[in-house]
Amino acid sequence: MTKDYGSFRAVDDLSFQVKDGEVVGFLGPNGAGKTTTIRVLTGFHPASSGTVRINGYDVVQDSLLVRSTLGYLPEQIPLYGDLRVQEYLSYRAGLKGLGGKERRREVEAVMEAAGVTEMRRRLCSQVSRGYRQRVGLADALLGSPKLLVLDEPTSGLDPNQRRKVRDLVRSLKEQHTILFSSHILSDVEDVCDRILLIHRGKLRAAGTLDELNLELGGEELRFRVEAQSQEVAALMQELLPGVEGSLDEEKGWTRASYRIPPHASVDSEALSLTLGKAFFQKGRPLSELWIHRPSLEETFFALTQDREVAP
Amino acid sequence: MSSVPKIHHRLGILFKRELFGLLVSPITYLVFTLFFFFRAFEVQTLIESFAGGGSPSRFAYYFLASPSTQFAVVVIPPILTMRLLAEEKRSGSLELLMTAPVRDWEVVVAKWGATWLLFALLWVPSFLQILVLMRPGYLGASLPMGQLFAGYLGLFLVGSLLLAVGLFTSSLTENVLLASLTSLLAGLGLLVVPPMLAEKLGGSSFSQLSVDSSIGQTLLAQFQVVRHLGSWFFRGLIDTGQLVFYASTTALFLFLTVRSLESRKWR
Repeated sequence: MTKDYGSFRAVDDLSFQVKDGEVVGFLGPNGAGKTTTIRVLTGFHPASSGTVRINGYDVVQDSLLVRSTLGYLPEQIPLYGDLRVQEYLSYRAGLKGLGGKERRREVEAVMEAAGVTEMRRRLCSQVSRGYRQRVGLADALLGSPKLLVLDEPTSGLDPNQRRKVRDLVRSLKEQHTILFSSHILSDVEDVCDRILLIHRGKLRAAGTLDELNLELGGEELRFRVEAQSQEVAALMQELLPGVEGSLDEEKGWTRASYRIPPHASVDSEALSLTLGKAFFQKGRPLSELWIHRPSLEETFFALTQDREVAP
Repeated sequence: MSSVPKIHHRLGILFKRELFGLLVSPITYLVFTLFFFFRAFEVQTLIESFAGGGSPSRFAYYFLASPSTQFAVVVIPPILTMRLLAEEKRSGSLELLMTAPVRDWEVVVAKWGATWLLFALLWVPSFLQILVLMRPGYLGASLPMGQLFAGYLGLFLVGSLLLAVGLFTSSLTENVLLASLTSLLAGLGLLVVPPMLAEKLGGSSFSQLSVDSSIGQTLLAQFQVVRHLGSWFFRGLIDTGQLVFYASTTALFLFLTVRSLESRKWR
């Protein structure tokens, strides 16, 4: 799908699939097009071109059907301040077509699941940011929709609240397919099976966390050895031909760092073992040796740092 | 649970929510209190001036056409409707509302319906006044119920149009104040401009307006809201043409509101 706002292309030819039962992290810097994409998914804005299908239904053609099988937590959670938490959820349950006993039962169930039962009598205008988020989540859970779309559910929360929301999302894994949008990497790392990284409206990467790391950053071999830097460079040229490392010599010791290129089919574990043996045979003691795997944060940075250049 | 809820169910839920929102809003009570306060004085004066006797029909006319009525018709619809969509747009709750399984027009109709019911409630006390006035010791005379009915009908019709106009202006902006002022101006314009135009056109300059003057005049005659009320409804006369006029213009503005809501989709 593609989405233009006037002459601005917010989402550019984005295509992805989320399988049943998956928890997918939808990652990107602010302004990458996450919320726009989500608004198309939820039918709030139609795509400029392309199609979106949820549970087999087109979001434009069968809009009402799609909306009734989808639980949505928007980024800003605009609760009606004049309603109490329970009243609000009951109203939303009614809108989603629940009636009578079922409606009451569902409201109780989602309040329990989201942990807002003790806040039921509070006016929505008087609940804290953390509880607001949970009331929004409770709302999204009403009618146990197959797909949950959560837009930045952890933003603006303190670490404790974030942890609680993450735990909550993790507990929902069993019954729901979840699209979890965020720019908070640790949350995505913690909760999601698979990650979609978008930047400037385009899909930059997709895969599990390990796949992403391998694909994008590659691993880095770092060590410290009692040897001259030329000697280290010579040996590394044999082991990793064509790879330039960074060497830093200090008081007879050399600190080295070599990036193993992705797709180089080099087994980093075996390489480190060979390296260790080679230095040992030369009588050069190693004081440090480890394989550094880039964090999601580094990967994120690597993929999105051109954003300042954007017009 | 994946079936789409029934339409009457959705309309009912939306309607109740809007009515509740209006009923817990302090602004509603403020306006209602003001209205009842002024009306009480008016009716008092009216009774005194008719104490020496006068035709019940004239009493009914002045009862309907009092200044507080004009206040109610012009000022109250913008106040009732100003928040309805502007506030939802500003706070972002429109997004949650429109991503629930409800159609745009259902939201618009429910909101309009709730304000209309509230507007109708505004007249309940005045109706009770009539019942009291007919008792011995007050006016003691029976009032022409048909004429009063026609008068209320006229007020409700004009009200429904101005409420639709108010809802429309509320859909155009996120600014509640702007929405209310715009619809207040639109309402005033509707009441004031056509008579002024008619006077201008009816005067000497009228003959110089060649071809479309008759069309213009016919059209203009349709928009004489003040005359509809003063010369027809308040005198107990009901013209089906006017019924059609109010029904269709109300529908037009509700339709425009729906389009305005939908415009998010092609911007």
